[in-house]
Amino acid sequence: MANEDVQRTLEELSRNLQESKAWLEEAQRVAHVGYWVWDLQTNRVIWSDETYRIFGLAPQEGQIDLAKVRESIHPNDREEVFRIAEESVRSGERADSEHRVIRPSGEIRVVHSLGDLKKDSSGRPYQMFGTTQDITDRKRAEEALRRMSRSVQESNARLEEAQRIAHVGHWEWKIETGRLTWSDETYRIYGMAPQERPIDISILREMIHPEDRESMFRKAEESLLSGVRADAEHRIVRPSGEVRTVHSRADAKRDASGRPYEMFGTVQDITERKRAEQALQQTQIYLREGQRLARMGSWAFNDEGLHWSDELYQIFGLDPEKGAPKIEQYLTLIHPQDQAAMAETIKTMFQEHSGCDVTKRIVRPDGQVRYVRCVASPVIEQEVFKGFLGTAMDVTEQELLTQELRREQAYLAEAQSLAHIGSWATNFATRQNFHLSDETYRIHGFDPRQGPPGLERFWATLHPQDETLVRATLEDAVRAGTDYDIRDFRIRRADDGQIRFLRTIGHRNPVGEIGEYVGITMDITELKRAEEERERLRQLEADLAHINRVNMMGELAAALAHEIRQPIAASITSANACLRWLARDPPDLKRARAAAARIEQDGNRAADVINRLRSFYKKGSPPRREIVDVREIIQEMTALLRTEAFRHSVRIHSELHEERPQVLADRVQLQQVFMNLMLNAIEAMRDSGGELTIASRPNPEGQLVVSISDTGEGLPADSAERIFDAFHTTKPQGTGMGLAITRSIVEAHGGRVWATTNSGAGATFHFTLPAKAEEHA
Amino acid sequence: MTSEALPTVFIVDDDRGMRQAIQDLVDSVGLHAESFASGEEFLCKKHNSRPSCLVLDVRLPQMSGLDFQQRLVDIGIQIPVIFITAHGDIPMSVRALKSGAVEFLTKPFRDQDLLDAIQQALQRDRAAHEQQAEVHNLQQRYGSLTAREKEVMTLVVSGMLNKQIAGEIGASEPTVKIHRGNVMRKMEAGSVVDLVRMADKLKLSPRK
Repeated sequence: MANEDVQRTLEELSRNLQESKAWLEEAQRVAHVGYWVWDLQTNRVIWSDETYRIFGLAPQEGQIDLAKVRESIHPNDREEVFRIAEESVRSGERADSEHRVIRPSGEIRVVHSLGDLKKDSSGRPYQMFGTTQDITDRKRAEEALRRMSRSVQESNARLEEAQRIAHVGHWEWKIETGRLTWSDETYRIYGMAPQERPIDISILREMIHPEDRESMFRKAEESLLSGVRADAEHRIVRPSGEVRTVHSRADAKRDASGRPYEMFGTVQDITERKRAEQALQQTQIYLREGQRLARMGSWAFNDEGLHWSDELYQIFGLDPEKGAPKIEQYLTLIHPQDQAAMAETIKTMFQEHSGCDVTKRIVRPDGQVRYVRCVASPVIEQEVFKGFLGTAMDVTEQELLTQELRREQAYLAEAQSLAHIGSWATNFATRQNFHLSDETYRIHGFDPRQGPPGLERFWATLHPQDETLVRATLEDAVRAGTDYDIRDFRIRRADDGQIRFLRTIGHRNPVGEIGEYVGITMDITELKRAEEERERLRQLEADLAHINRVNMMGELAAALAHEIRQPIAASITSANACLRWLARDPPDLKRARAAAARIEQDGNRAADVINRLRSFYKKGSPPRREIVDVREIIQEMTALLRTEAFRHSVRIHSELHEERPQVLADRVQLQQVFMNLMLNAIEAMRDSGGELTIASRPNPEGQLVVSISDTGEGLPADSAERIFDAFHTTKPQGTGMGLAITRSIVEAHGGRVWATTNSGAGATFHFTLPAKAEEHA
Repeated sequence: MTSEALPTVFIVDDDRGMRQAIQDLVDSVGLHAESFASGEEFLCKKHNSRPSCLVLDVRLPQMSGLDFQQRLVDIGIQIPVIFITAHGDIPMSVRALKSGAVEFLTKPFRDQDLLDAIQQALQRDRAAHEQQAEVHNLQQRYGSLTAREKEVMTLVVSGMLNKQIAGEIGASEPTVKIHRGNVMRKMEAGSVVDLVRMADKLKLSPRK
C-alpha cells in the first residue's frame, strides 16, 4: 500500500514537476528569460529552449560549449563578460552583466545575464547556473524615454528662450481660485523682474492702459461665454510709466460639464513692430505725398513684375486699379515721334543692364501731351541682375520753359547774326567778360565753341592804326565812368585775317561795379560797303541819265531817218521809172504820169513824217497838265545831278522868289527841261568848275520866269541864234537836240525860252511857264 | 525755150509806195514783175520753172528779210535774192551776201544798180535751171543702164582698161567691150572724157 502510495505520490510529484517545468518554460518564454548550466569540469553548457531563442537559434538546435558561447557574444563585450564570469568563479559572488549578443542572422540583441556558482560538499565549485534575459526592447524603451525627457527639458528651455526673443510670455488664470500665473517673459513684458511678485486680476487690471482696459476685459468675458479665442491688441502701462503695445490671445479650458475652469493665454510685446509699422506707413505717406508734390513717380521692375507708384499712374493719366502696363502697352503711351527712341533705350537697358536718363513725350488717354523725364538704374545684387528701379518726373512745364528760353535765345542769336550785332558785358577794370553773345565771337573771328577768349585777345584783333584811338577812348570812358560810342574802327578778324569795320557802343552798368559795361559791337563793313555802293550807283544813275539822253536822241534820229528815207527812196525810184517811160520811143506818157503822181504822194508822205514829229511838242496837243511845285522839281534834279556837279566842282544853289512857285505843267516834261538846262550848265563848267544858280520870279504877264545861270565859257559868239535849232551842236558828243526839245516843250506849255550872256562869266538860259493862276484865265 | 521770154521779178516790201515804184521801174525795162507786201504772200504764189529773182526788203513786219531768205533755202526754193534796205549796215550786208544774195542795196538806190542786179540774178537763175535740167536728163539716161553697165561705167570713168575691167568683174574682154559700147550709146557720150564729165555731174564716185 505504502509502495503504491509512494508510487502514486512519485507519479504525482513527477507530473507536478513536469507541469512546473512546462510553466517555467512558458514563463521564461513570456519574460524572454532563458537559463543555462555551465559545467566547470567539462566546460559543457546546457541552454534552455528560450536561451536558444534569445541567441537566435531553434531550441536545442546544436551542442553548446564555452567556445560557442564566446562566439555569440558581441566582440566589444566578450572580454568583459568572461572577466565577470571568472571573477564570479573565483570569488563565489553572483555574476551579473548586461551585454550584447550577435544572432546568426547578424541581429544584435541586448541581454541581462545572471550566474550563480554551485559547490560540492567539499566547497569546490563545480557548476554555474544562470539566466539570460533579452532586454533589448526594454532598453530601447528606456532610451526613448530618456531621450524624450531630455527633449522635453530642452523644449522648455527653448520655449523660454523663444518667448524671450519674440517677447511672447504666457499666463494661466485659475478661474475658481482667481490665481494668475505668469511666465518669466510675461513679467518682463509687464516691466517686472521674473516672478517679482504674485499677480492677481486687480493688479493686472491696473497695468492695462485705461483706454483699453474695458474693451479688453469685455473681450475676455465674451471669450469665456462663447468659447471663441480672445484676441486683442492693447496697450499696457509698465510700473516705470512706459506704455507698451501688446498682443494678447487666450483660450478657455473647460471641464467635462463645459464649465470653464481655467484660461490660458499668451502675451506678445509688439511695440517695436507697431512703431516700425507706423514709421513705414508714415514713410509711405510722405513718399506718396512727396511724389505727388514733385510730380515724380517711381517704379520697380523685377522678377515679380512691374510696380508703379500712385503718382506715376497720375502722371500717365492711367487708372491704378488696372495695374502697371506691359512694355508693349507702355510704348503705345509714348508720343509717336519718341516711340522708336524709347524702344531702343529699353532694349539697350535690358541687353546691357544699364540705366537711362531720357526725356520723352507721352500722350495721356485724354490726348494731352506731357514731357516726362525718366531716370532708371539697374539693380544688381552680388553681380546678379535683378531688375530696374526708376523714377519718372513730369517735366512738361520746365521743358516748355526751356524750349521757350532756347527758342528765344535762338531768335536773339539769329537776330544778332542777321544784324551783325553782338552783345557783351565786360568789366574793363578786372578784365573779366561776363557775357559774350555768339555773334560777338564771330564778329571778331573767334569760334564760340572754344569758350570766351580773354579781353587781351580782343585787343589783339584791333587794327594797328586804330588801336591807340580805341584804347584811349575806352580808357577815358572807364576812368570817367561814362558811356562811349566808337563809331568806326578796324579790326583784323582772328580767323581769316580780313579787315572789318566795327562800331561799338558801351553803357556803364549803373548797378555794377567800377569798370562794368554792357554794350553791343556791330560789324558795319557791309553797311559801309553798301553806302559806298549806293554812292557809286547814284553816280552811275547820273551818268546813265546823260547817256540815255544821248541815246534817246540817237534812236529818235535813226527812227526819223528810216521813216523819211522810205518815201524818199520810193519817190526817187518812181522818178527814175518816170524818166524811163518818158525816154521810150514813143514816150509812154500814161505810165510817166502815174509815176509822177506817186512821186507827189511819197513826197507828201515824207512831209507828213516830219510834221508828225514836230507835232510831238506842238502847242495844241497838250500833254497832261497838273499843278507842279517848281521847288520840288529843282530839288529832285539837284539830287540827281549832285554827283555829276560834284565831279566837275560845280556848286548848285537856288534863289526862288516865292516859297513854293507853282506852275501848270507836265511834270515829266518839266523835269526834262530842267535836266537839259542844268546839264548844259554843268557841261559848260566841266573844266573850270563854278556855280550853277537857279532863280525864279514872276513877270508882268503873270508867268513864272525861271533862269538857270552858269559861270562857264558863255555862248558861242558866231551861232548864238542857232543854238535852239535841232541838230545844232557845239559839243563833241552832243546830238544837237537838247535845246531843240527844250524849246518844243516850253513852247508846247505856252512859254518861251531864250539865252543871254552874263555880264560876268557864263550864260543864262531863261524860260517862262504859265503860273498856276492862269488856269482860270 | 518759152521761159526765156518771160522771166519774172518778184518784189517783197511792206512799203506800198516802194513796192509800186520798183514794179513800175521793172515794167519800164520790159520785164514782168509781181509784188507782195509780205513773205507769206509770196510763198502762197504758185511757182513755175520760169527764171526769176526776188527783190526783198530787209525790214519786214513779221520776219526779217534775212530770216525769210534762210527759210526759202530750208524749204528748197532756190531763187536769187536782191536785198534792199532803208538802213543797212555792214554786218547785215555781209550776212546777206554770205547766204547767197546777189546784191545788197541801200535805199535810195540808183535805178541802174537795181536793174543790173536783176539782170545778174536772172542770169544766175537761168544757169541754175539749165544745169538742173541737164542733171535731170543725165539721171534719166543713167537710169536706163543695167546694173552691169553701171558697174562697167564706174570702172571706165576710174580710168581702167577693158582688160582690167574684165579681170575686175570676172568677164571676158569682148563682153566688157559690148557693155562699154552700150554705156557710151545710152549715155550719149561722144568720148570717155565726155562720160567722165557726166559721171562728175551725176556725182558718181569713181573706183580707186
